[in-house]
Amino acid sequence: MATILTRYGDGTMLTMSEKELMQDLEAGTQDAAERGNIPALSKEELAHLFDIFSLPYNFVSVEPGNEVVLTYDAGTLKIRRVGVNVDRIQALQIYEKIMGADTMELCHVDYSFKPIKPIVTMEQPILEQALLSTHVPLFYGAMPNLGTYTQPDGPFPNPSELMPMGDIEGARASYDATVEEAVKDIVYAARAMHASGADGINLDTVGAAGEADFKASLMAADILKKEFPEICIELGMAGEFILGMHGEMEWEGIRLAGMYPHEQVKLAEKAGVTIFGPVVNTNTSESSPWNLSRAITFMKACCDVATIPIHVNMGMGVGAVTVNDHPPVDVVSRASKAMVEICRLDGL
Amino acid sequence: MVDEQTIKEAIKAIVDHDEAKAIEITKKFIEAGNNSLEIMTEGFIPGIGEVGDQFGRGLLFLPGLVQSADVMKKVTALVNEALPEKQLEKPGVVVIGTVKGDIHDIGKGIVVALLRANGLVVHDIGRDVDTEKFIEEAVKVEADVIGTSTLLTTTMGHQKDLEKELKKAGLRDKFKTIVGGAPVTGRWAAKIGADAYAEDAQDSVVKIKELIG
Repeated sequence: MATILTRYGDGTMLTMSEKELMQDLEAGTQDAAERGNIPALSKEELAHLFDIFSLPYNFVSVEPGNEVVLTYDAGTLKIRRVGVNVDRIQALQIYEKIMGADTMELCHVDYSFKPIKPIVTMEQPILEQALLSTHVPLFYGAMPNLGTYTQPDGPFPNPSELMPMGDIEGARASYDATVEEAVKDIVYAARAMHASGADGINLDTVGAAGEADFKASLMAADILKKEFPEICIELGMAGEFILGMHGEMEWEGIRLAGMYPHEQVKLAEKAGVTIFGPVVNTNTSESSPWNLSRAITFMKACCDVATIPIHVNMGMGVGAVTVNDHPPVDVVSRASKAMVEICRLDGL
Repeated sequence: MVDEQTIKEAIKAIVDHDEAKAIEITKKFIEAGNNSLEIMTEGFIPGIGEVGDQFGRGLLFLPGLVQSADVMKKVTALVNEALPEKQLEKPGVVVIGTVKGDIHDIGKGIVVALLRANGLVVHDIGRDVDTEKFIEEAVKVEADVIGTSTLLTTTMGHQKDLEKELKKAGLRDKFKTIVGGAPVTGRWAAKIGADAYAEDAQDSVVKIKELIG
């Protein structure tokens, strides 16, 4: 019986028998189906995943004609983080001209809307120069990062301190207050970048601080879309479900906590978001087949109901990609091929 | 022996964070001459386990978890009061924090809430914590377990530093260590010499109780 070389979610190499591979594929899709209350992958889809993992090649890909848009968030940060000493415009050029990026994002090292507000006039000329020296659609983006609005980083009491003391109403009031301030900052920065010619605004890692993060992003998108109907807004998520830190927060009468990607995308559409970037987190203790089968189950359910383009997040720790600073090509290429071929998504 | 109906009601009282009902069940059970530990182990502990599981699935949210933990604390006090002195167990003491260079503490906060709900004495020393501080605090409060959390691959090394520093100080056998966080695995725990790895908040309760024995 053939053995298949694959990895755990932390990148450690692993060999599996064909039987073990199929068992993990089945367990992964079952876990997602139960959690998200969504359909599990069919036998044919599991067989397709089995074939992809069985391929003896290090790098695998899709057939010509099936390529999708390849976009990068925070690329101007990531290239510096791995020790390549280039400025932000050079980073954009490297991604575009060497790495084949179809869209890119300019961002500041302090990747949150709040600290960008006071320096937005310093960011605008960089964006304008970048637009003049690249061809790809260029986004300006940052994280809503509502954690920056509570103590010690912001003015409002820290809900993580209030909650354990039993002050649930105080914690909730603090979350509500952060939403109002974050919306102002996101809209302020987005307006400025739109005026400077940004091809799109990216709200990244949405939901990292719970449902307040998601609500602020939806509200900001709604305001921007009404003000600039032609604006392109991308919403990239932080995790597979909206963490319920508040528990009762709603947008348009819908409770946000606990929403999975196929539910999140419907609210994004309602808010006027142009491109949605769902996330499924990688479990480092489970195998790559388990993680990929699980991630595709969530993503397929999202793609099936979406009426806007879906660009699935595929990177360190998400989209079944291993948690490594330099994710291995065997995992990244298998996950990418499977996502494109099974989910019928629009971009990675 | 706890009857099935009482077990169901005890679990429900914890999941619904129904303090009045949980207290009523406990008092009734104790007044009937039963061993109070039984209602704890067969009803309330599975209840808080269910809370942890539902939180991990996005079915229950932080305020609910905190309220359930609070109810758990109150029934634990009642159960302990009713126990004869010799049956009273010293609660396990845990020092926990997010390692140096890492400011992420949402997950750690949830772990703390569940540990406390399970009757452990938890000293949460915050985020961005120096390795030396973990040791100082553990010595000060006579901890059984030191728990370290990290979200970043770049700060995982501080979990290894703790193992080294404990050995250097001749304290490695005095404390059990447990590691957690998104990039952390059981393989990492074994590699650095930690005593255990916890995958999530509920797992941390199970593993720490195993460590304390």
